[in-house]
Amino acid sequence: MKILNFSADTLCLLTIIAIVFPFLSFLMIILGKQYKKSTISIFNISISFISSLLIFSNLWNGEVVHQQVEWFSVGSYVFSAGFLLNNLSVLMMVLVSGISLLVHVYSTAYMKGDENIHKYWAYLGLFCFSMMALVVADSLLLIYMFWELVGFSSFLLIGFWFTKAAASQAAKKAFIMNRIGDIGFLTGMMIIYAQFGTFDIVKLFGNGGLIDSASIVDGMWISASAEMSVIWLSLAGFAFFMGTMAKSAQFPLHTWLPDAMEGPTSVSSLIHAATMVAAGVFLLGRIYPLFDSLVLNIITVIGIFTAFMGATIALTQNDIKRILAYSTISQLGFMVAAMGIGAYGESIFHLATHAFFKCLLFLAAGAVIHQLHYHKKQHNLEFDHQDIRLMGGLRKQMPIAFITMSIAAAALAGFPFTSGFLSKDAILITSFEWAEGYNGFKKLVPYIFMLTSWITVFYIARLIFRVFFGKPRYEGIKEASSVMNRVLVVLAFCSLFLLFSFNPFSFDGSWILHGFVSSGVKRFSVLHVIIPEIVTITSIVIVFMAYRIYGSGATKTFPENGLIYRFSNRAWYFDTAYRFLFVRPVESISRFSYKFDKLIVDGLVNLLAVGVDILSGISDWFDRNIIDGFVNGISSFARKTGDFTRQFQSGKLQHYLVTMLTVVIAIFILTYFI
Amino acid sequence: MGPEQIVFYFFAALTLISAFLVVYIQNLVRSIFLFFITIFSLAAMFVFALADFIAVTQVVIYVGGVLVLMLFAFMLSNRELLSGLQQVRGGFKLGHLVGLLICTGLFFLLYSAISSVDIVNLPWIKESQPIRQNDNTIHQIGINTMTLYLLPFEVVSVFLMMALIGAAHLARKEKNS
Amino acid sequence: MIPLSHFMLISAVLFCIGLYAVLTKRNAIQVLIGIEFMINAAILNFVAFGQFDKIKGGGQMFALFAIVLAAAGVAVALAIILNVYKHFRTIDPAKIDTLKD
Repeated sequence: MKILNFSADTLCLLTIIAIVFPFLSFLMIILGKQYKKSTISIFNISISFISSLLIFSNLWNGEVVHQQVEWFSVGSYVFSAGFLLNNLSVLMMVLVSGISLLVHVYSTAYMKGDENIHKYWAYLGLFCFSMMALVVADSLLLIYMFWELVGFSSFLLIGFWFTKAAASQAAKKAFIMNRIGDIGFLTGMMIIYAQFGTFDIVKLFGNGGLIDSASIVDGMWISASAEMSVIWLSLAGFAFFMGTMAKSAQFPLHTWLPDAMEGPTSVSSLIHAATMVAAGVFLLGRIYPLFDSLVLNIITVIGIFTAFMGATIALTQNDIKRILAYSTISQLGFMVAAMGIGAYGESIFHLATHAFFKCLLFLAAGAVIHQLHYHKKQHNLEFDHQDIRLMGGLRKQMPIAFITMSIAAAALAGFPFTSGFLSKDAILITSFEWAEGYNGFKKLVPYIFMLTSWITVFYIARLIFRVFFGKPRYEGIKEASSVMNRVLVVLAFCSLFLLFSFNPFSFDGSWILHGFVSSGVKRFSVLHVIIPEIVTITSIVIVFMAYRIYGSGATKTFPENGLIYRFSNRAWYFDTAYRFLFVRPVESISRFSYKFDKLIVDGLVNLLAVGVDILSGISDWFDRNIIDGFVNGISSFARKTGDFTRQFQSGKLQHYLVTMLTVVIAIFILTYFI
Repeated sequence: MGPEQIVFYFFAALTLISAFLVVYIQNLVRSIFLFFITIFSLAAMFVFALADFIAVTQVVIYVGGVLVLMLFAFMLSNRELLSGLQQVRGGFKLGHLVGLLICTGLFFLLYSAISSVDIVNLPWIKESQPIRQNDNTIHQIGINTMTLYLLPFEVVSVFLMMALIGAAHLARKEKNS
Repeated sequence: MIPLSHFMLISAVLFCIGLYAVLTKRNAIQVLIGIEFMINAAILNFVAFGQFDKIKGGGQMFALFAIVLAAAGVAVALAIILNVYKHFRTIDPAKIDTLKD
């Protein structure tokens, strides 16, 4: 329903407002003095949210608004910039600004007392600005720009407590891995430009756009302006997917996300759960028409593998935030794989629901961590306040956190009455329907999805039981501050089914799915009933099993050694492998270069300096002895001549006589005898 | 060679040897006394040149005047002058060599001039009237002084007076010494 | 008669000896003696040539005058040497070189 009817120009203005206001908060704080209050940032992000809501209400399922201006030109090539407001954009705008607003409010309580908080608001503003701009950009070039900027803000925020070595290392790792993905993005962009000569998304990916009208004939990919071998089509698709792999933490570029938990929890919730990591999936959504079947298969395989891997690793982690990080990786794998099998709308639906309940999981975990940290400081204790093995019984001490986190966990696990149930089942059922048409490996895909969902249930149940159930370990833990609790409650409401569909059990009624291209498979089949039932019943069984192991009773314990445990605990040894394969060689190359530089390059320079020194010594000798010597020689010759002739005026009588007589006698002798 | 030649050569040798010794000997007193001998032998040679009055005048003035003057001046000077005068050092120096060279050069010159002249056959010697041994030179000198050489005579006496006054003035003692 | 050339030779040698004394002696009085030698050599020469002049007796006359003048010169020279000594405290002609360049 439209709240107000806006014209296209007003909508453009509102879009600009929505994008620019968070950036103003970045500027205001960077340029001015250290403004530690949150008022300006919250005001800016609220304005952004309100504008996004207005735009959303006007444009959801409405006409697409596309405005652009000429940006710059290089020779005869003209590049334009503008924004594209279709369903995907406006949904993302509301999602990003809404969750940002909640996280801003939460941060006022969570980051209270931090001395660098003015920088925190600035970086958050920068991030919100770049993310908002990314989702409305209409040109691949602009998306790339803001893609990078989002990665940069993530770097700043992960390394916010940069005095901690682990934090700055994690920030570097995140940025470098994202860079690797960005190479892929750039390559894809270059291939597209070479083939089509434009970056405009509407022209390229719209209905009947350039990509649709390009044809494949005799192994050549032919477009209106150029042609190249068909392998380039797959390469372009895969290159863009590389960007997604890095940004959305898919295998093999996923190892930065667990380390990124070194940043503040509010940052983790906003960036690494809800919005930035979703940008990868968003990109897949934007350029979906580009992918051919080979690339789609690759996407599916990688997505499903990542989902499985993330879930298995989350089983054995002990740091609360790391469990949630691997859970994010796993859920992103779900989304990516859904994209791969063609469930475009279901993937975006899951993105939206995941944003809310994952953000809630992180913020609730943040509340727990915050209270434990405060308790630690107060009583001067020493323990890792993020380790779930050292927590217990918090449900009585922090009831609101317990309730909200349990709702989010239920959403993650996919229990009925939650939004997660709707979106996850959407993907699951669609995957079964998709697999019906194929044989071989593709038949396995839905079963791996199911297995991963069960593992998800187990690990999240483990987390809830460990943290909240059992005997309280510490006395005097209080509830988190009311600001935090209010945010948690709002998010908990959003994790329930009400926001997304009036029917708690069937996703067909979800308005989000109606906004996107349907996957085109049969909707009303028996699968729609069987699968949710099977999954729910097995999930309940699993929860009960987990309760037996981790809950109050703790009758059975899992063996904590053994090959499989270690393999999972060490995150499938990816970090070790990467360190061995990449970090060590680079370090040794760097050491070698350093030595080379020092020895040879500096040696050459020193040799040069020595040579110049010698040369200068020679010319100095030459100048001093020969040139100066010549001049001095003349003067000394003059002096010697003078001195010599002066001796004749010695003042001595007898000398004068001698001189006189010599001359006279000489004259006489010469005259008489010669 | 008659006896007068031998005596002449003896006196000539005496002159030259004593002159040489005057120059060679470092000691001032001894050289003055040798100078004394030189004067005497020179006077003897004047006699051989048939200038007896000159010889006696030489002895009187030089020995009795000049030499005595030098001896007195030397002996009666104060101690500083004496010790200053005794500062003579020996050794063969470049100056001596140069002086020797010049003197030998000059001598060589003079000798060649002398030996290139055939004295006996010079025109003005052939036409001249030499002094005989029996002539009264003193008489002649007296007459010549007052007639022919009157002017130089007067000038010399004025000159002597000047020298007297000058020497006396130069050698005066300062009032504030 | 003694040949004229003998007289001239002796006078030449005497002159050279006197010149040597003038040129190389470090004592002003010895220089004076050298000057005396030179004057005496000249007188000897005068006298030697005066043998041949009976009429005017020029040789002998001038020898006379020369003797007188030499004596006067010695007297004045000694007074000068005295003054030089008073002023310079030395009578070494090689040391008296204030007029040098």
